[in-house]
Amino acid sequence: MNENLFTPFMVPTFLGLPAVVPIILFPTLLFPTSKHLITNRLIIIQRNLVQLIMKQMMTIHSTKGQTWSLMLMSLIIFIAATNLLGLLPHSFTPTTQLSMNLAMAIPLWAGTVITGLRFKTKNSLAHFLPQGTPTPLIPMLVVIETISLFIQPVALAVRLTANITAGHLLMHLIGSATLALLTASFLATSLTLVLLVLLTILEMAVALIQAYVFTLLVSLYLHDNT
Amino acid sequence: MLSRVVLSTTSTVAPSLKNAAFLSPGVLQATRTFHTGQPHLAPVPPLPEYGGKVRYGLIPEEFFQFLYPKTGVTGPYVLGTGLILYALSKEIYVISAETFTAMSLIGIMVYGIKKYGPSVAEFADKLNEQKLAQLEEVKQASIQQIQNAIDMEKSQQALTQKRHYLFVVQREKETVAKCIADLKLLAKKAQAQPVM
Repeated sequence: MNENLFTPFMVPTFLGLPAVVPIILFPTLLFPTSKHLITNRLIIIQRNLVQLIMKQMMTIHSTKGQTWSLMLMSLIIFIAATNLLGLLPHSFTPTTQLSMNLAMAIPLWAGTVITGLRFKTKNSLAHFLPQGTPTPLIPMLVVIETISLFIQPVALAVRLTANITAGHLLMHLIGSATLALLTASFLATSLTLVLLVLLTILEMAVALIQAYVFTLLVSLYLHDNT
Repeated sequence: MLSRVVLSTTSTVAPSLKNAAFLSPGVLQATRTFHTGQPHLAPVPPLPEYGGKVRYGLIPEEFFQFLYPKTGVTGPYVLGTGLILYALSKEIYVISAETFTAMSLIGIMVYGIKKYGPSVAEFADKLNEQKLAQLEEVKQASIQQIQNAIDMEKSQQALTQKRHYLFVVQREKETVAKCIADLKLLAKKAQAQPVM
């Protein structure tokens, strides 16, 4: 039972070739496009969902903020699809790799900061000092706000990585526990039930996408509109 | 896809047609021929409306039909059970932690699809029909507008006809009557002359 628990998270290579590239590109096959007005049910449902999410997320922004809609919508669709596909057995989830999440988080966050600094310099610099602070606290508070600003991309990336990795690991461990207890016939059924519940909760990994894009959205909102 | 919407509406209107609709795609499937003659791009051969029928979401119906003459109804199921037991006993498929993950995931998916599948499909069809109904409404409004314009044009033409009658024809009648009166006067004068 000396199982290597790292194996689900190893970047897959096939005969020395990185197989991770087709794996990252695979969700694009699941979202077809059609040039017809009346399409099949899959496209209708997907289009409806994307419209719903877009209405929910992008209406709070100004015109300049809404130029980011394509980026944010494709981001949320990609992360949702990748996380859901990772629930299948023996599959690899790219979002478990910190490298990929950092590669997603840092450019997007930097984009919002630079946009804010470029077009509304005074406003974005004013974010470093909350309103109504007593004067002796100002230097310390500026340092703290700077730190909290620079920790935003790291927090975004690590949040996503940790959640998905922890979920996968937990499912794997509970599955192996069920397997081990099967011979003892002891609470095996209750553990499978727990696994089931955990799985449905893990399917709230989709909620994590919401969290991801939403936090990004909030930062964009703050940087552009305020 | 348009025909699927038409089919769904006709099935509510004429239920006897519903069975006929399900036969035709299968017939089309059976008559598809491959690699006969030169390939040509146009006219595009018609694609079937529905995909092939599938049992248990994985195995095509044709497989069961293929085995039926030799092994009857239970044939494919015995074959499937044998294959699964063979794979398990020879450890071709190893039961591991991921087996339970797969079992629970598939269980949840099947439960979700069975419970919410038809309502989601209905919702999607309704969205399609709404789109079509909107466009149909625009088309009907446009036709109605043109019809109204035609009617108005006709009434305008009738009015001009009336005017034509009133002014031109009446005047013609008057001039003709005047002409006749003048001629009568002249005739009378001419009659009066030779007397002199």
